[in-house]
Amino acid sequence: MEVRPIFSALLRNKTGAFLISLQIALTLAVVANALFIIVQRLEKMNRPTGMDVDNIIMVASSAFTQDYDARGSLRKDLDALRAIPGVIAATPINQIPLSGGGDSNGYRASTDVPSHDGISANNYMCDEQCVDTLGIELESGRSFDASEITFREPNSSFFSPGVLITRALGEELFGDEDPLGKSIYDGLGRSTTVIGVIRRMQGAWVSWEGLERVMVRPEVGLWPYTRYLIRTEPGQRDAIMPVVEKTLIDLNKERLVRRLTAHADVVKHSYSQDRTMAVILTTVSALLVTVTALGIVGLASFSVSQRTRQIGIRRAIGARRLDILRYFLVENWMITTGGVVLGCILTLAFNFWLVSEYELPRLELVYVLGGIAGLLMLGQLAVLMPARRAAAVAPAIATRNV
Amino acid sequence: MLDMRNLSKVYRTDLIETHALRDFSLSVDSGEFVAVTGPSGSGKTTFLNIAGLLEPATSGTYMLDGSDVSDLSDNQRSRIRNEKIGFIFQSFNLIPDLDLFDNVDVPLRYRGFKAAERRRRIMDNLERVGLAARANHLPSQLSGGQQQRVAIARALAGDPRFLLADEPTGNLDSLMARQVMELLESINAGGTTIIMVTHDPELARRAHRSIQVLDGQVSDFKTYEPRPAAVEPAPAASA
Amino acid sequence: MFAYYVRLALLSLRRNPVLTGLTIGAIGIGIAVCMTTLTLYYIMSGNPMGRAGEKVYAVQIDSWGIDDPFDDDRPERIPWEFTWRDANGLLASDVPALQAAMFKAAAVLQVANEDIQPSMQLLRVTGRDFFELFDTPFLYGSAWSASAETAAEQVVVLSRRTNDEAFGGENSVGQRVRLDGRDFTVVGVLDEWDPAPKFYDVNNGPFDESEDAYIPFTLTVPLELDSAGNTNCWKDEELDSFEKFMNGECIWIQYWVQLDDSDQKARYQDFLDNYVRDQQALGRLERPIDNRLTNVPDWLDVRQVVANDSKVLVGLSFMFLMVCLFNAVGLVLAKFVGKAPQVGLRRALGASTSAIFTQHLVETGIVGLAGGLVGLGLTQLGLVGIRALNEHYEVLTQLDVVLVSGTIIIAVMSGVIAGLYPTWRICRVAPAGYLKTQ
Repeated sequence: MEVRPIFSALLRNKTGAFLISLQIALTLAVVANALFIIVQRLEKMNRPTGMDVDNIIMVASSAFTQDYDARGSLRKDLDALRAIPGVIAATPINQIPLSGGGDSNGYRASTDVPSHDGISANNYMCDEQCVDTLGIELESGRSFDASEITFREPNSSFFSPGVLITRALGEELFGDEDPLGKSIYDGLGRSTTVIGVIRRMQGAWVSWEGLERVMVRPEVGLWPYTRYLIRTEPGQRDAIMPVVEKTLIDLNKERLVRRLTAHADVVKHSYSQDRTMAVILTTVSALLVTVTALGIVGLASFSVSQRTRQIGIRRAIGARRLDILRYFLVENWMITTGGVVLGCILTLAFNFWLVSEYELPRLELVYVLGGIAGLLMLGQLAVLMPARRAAAVAPAIATRNV
Repeated sequence: MLDMRNLSKVYRTDLIETHALRDFSLSVDSGEFVAVTGPSGSGKTTFLNIAGLLEPATSGTYMLDGSDVSDLSDNQRSRIRNEKIGFIFQSFNLIPDLDLFDNVDVPLRYRGFKAAERRRRIMDNLERVGLAARANHLPSQLSGGQQQRVAIARALAGDPRFLLADEPTGNLDSLMARQVMELLESINAGGTTIIMVTHDPELARRAHRSIQVLDGQVSDFKTYEPRPAAVEPAPAASA
Repeated sequence: MFAYYVRLALLSLRRNPVLTGLTIGAIGIGIAVCMTTLTLYYIMSGNPMGRAGEKVYAVQIDSWGIDDPFDDDRPERIPWEFTWRDANGLLASDVPALQAAMFKAAAVLQVANEDIQPSMQLLRVTGRDFFELFDTPFLYGSAWSASAETAAEQVVVLSRRTNDEAFGGENSVGQRVRLDGRDFTVVGVLDEWDPAPKFYDVNNGPFDESEDAYIPFTLTVPLELDSAGNTNCWKDEELDSFEKFMNGECIWIQYWVQLDDSDQKARYQDFLDNYVRDQQALGRLERPIDNRLTNVPDWLDVRQVVANDSKVLVGLSFMFLMVCLFNAVGLVLAKFVGKAPQVGLRRALGASTSAIFTQHLVETGIVGLAGGLVGLGLTQLGLVGIRALNEHYEVLTQLDVVLVSGTIIIAVMSGVIAGLYPTWRICRVAPAGYLKTQ
């Protein structure tokens, strides 16, 4: 089957073909860029957290009396929570990792570094069960013991002498050197020593480049407002959540027990923007591909019905069914090829706009190539049904006078 | 009624120039029944298109009903087609989606008649071709001869000055063809000018006058005696 | 004649139900995707204060440290918020028509009725001008008095939501409530008021609901109120008491003024410059003087309240709509080409070009309208989906009159645009063209 006559036939009937090409081009531009964004968001959402997110419960306690015994109720709460069957560990904590709320400070490897050039890291202040509660893994050094915990009054200022840091923070501060045992200085020049290195742990803000820069300090704040994290045996989280709530409510009536939430839901909420984007883009891409495919089917069907007589004549003068089928497949292949060539330009232009206006990363070539291959295949599949109908046209049509 | 002087029609494409009509002159009087014959490619259809104001001639003058129509705008030609000319085609050209009533209604709509006036004309003309009872049928439910009679009703609905018929019996068997011809003859007897294009010499002989077109020119005239049969009313059979 | 065209259009559309369905579907889906993303964008980019917001300004001074700009990546930016010291310094001015410093706090609310459980409430700690500045609607009572503000009385204005929960919607003015164990007197209840975006505090969630209760800014020190919002500090300083914290270089306070004319604005700008110069003489505010007044519409722009994702989606969905339109053009063209013989016949029977044009434009207009209605339904579906996906968008996804009528207009225009080229093509059908064969 020669290509040239199909091409010249195409040129004589160019509007329909041109419209399909334009659709293919725009579809490529949208789908390639959308797919790229989707994959980025999925990668972001699926980064390892370093924590046992699925088995952690968070809950907050807000006291509303002015003479509240923060230290005493903290002790009672923790003893009760840790006594619940199925609870592995529990800790008070100043902020919930991956919740979108938290604080950060600048840290330096030496006092020679000016304080405004410090490395920002999230601070987590919790007690001796912190490592077990979060389910984080120490790659070197040790965790704290109960004697090392400092209980801090509101508005006090303190920097523990020994802390845990993540490997990511260690690399930022000390490069390739082993951070274990090294000194770290805060903005005021107070120093601490790294007693343990956490393999991986994520901090407060999911879209922050320093997400894995975390310092864990053996400190517990005595505020009227306290957050607890509780880690359960695998699979028991949902059963234990109501027990946690009831335990805390029964212990003390002078406070509100609030925000009882599975940590996994907290994390999910933090990624809701990314998830929304990924779902919308997936839906839009799927719809777009469907619309384009239906457009190809519609126009091809129409062109088959317009050319019924012509097809009959071809069949009458000896074309096989396969030849007719191939005619339409080749024609579609040409139209799609024209579309993807134009589409490459559009895709890059669209990506250029995204990069320059919205600081999105540059599109990787594989998405363009994947999109091209996908659309060529889609075109062939879409045209298959009308093409088969064309192949079924009887040669006798040629002699009928319609 | 119709007076064509030195008409020519040239079709141009990138490659070739075709002289479909050259120096074509013809005059038809009011009330005449003229047959136009000629072989395929002789220029019959071009003549019909120009006579029916479907397309303009390249040069020459065309007087219709006393006024010069050779140089009108598209809109003016639409209006004259609508008001003065009735068309009858070989393949009937009824609109398959519309019932008989609505088919006859089409030219009246473009005429801008009021609803009551349209209804009256439609029913009168369907009556005239013997199909009033079928006003709500679709064309596909009729025989070929009946369809052609509906087309004639449509052509007559606007009271045209003349009818242009293009092989009106070409798609019909001989019985139906005869009925349609008799209908045309009775219409002509009522005073409507008819120009009929045909390749059938038998049909051509039934006209008052027959002209033959060859290579875009009038090559031969034949005049026939008006036949007495023409004054009898046509049998308006409903099959 | 129009009714005739509508009848012809419906006949023609019924003749090819699959083609008609595909065309309507293509336009409908295109519209739905476009309108869903546009709705998000429209509400995100809304200016809840309207024209009145042009006279209401956010105030900024560059209170950051000398070593680094407020935002290393965007050095042209200066702090969005104020330190306690500077907010109080600004309150001394008598230039603005209205002015209010404010921050977000939280407290547990209790009422005398023991059936009502204590509940955590978000507070806005602010001045009495807040209500007039932002034109908040009052259901009962009013803002607290100037004297109550000066005397730092424990008074509170409740939101309608909170009043409904705590007092069953009754007029609670004069009633007592406890906030974190302290007695407050209710002086006013707001009617529903949830500006979206929450322009006056975009730092703490631009699409959060407005706060549950409002208390005087002058209570901050007596009650040692802490901010429940973001706090940013640049200076390394020991902040180990409430007093030190309040005097520290940490920002967490938003500051808004109303300036009625350019003269007032110029005088206030002078006041700000003088204030900063005075502070510089005291050794504070070391950065170059850069004081800014930004009105509400500009502020929403500067703060980039509309998420980039949302803009990207609008761009994408317009390309989507274009695909759908090209698709529809192709389908309508196919359909009209099939109608060419009939058009030729109508022309022969005396239809003018404009009659043919109108007839087919009516047909495509109907397709557009149907597409619009389908699109409207699908848009609702899309918005429900987005709401289910993302609780941040609760307030964002209400279709209003503007959006519904916009959808219909865009739809009919899409239908007409999609039909224009095919209509133009079919108007060029020569009357003589198709009469010979059928």
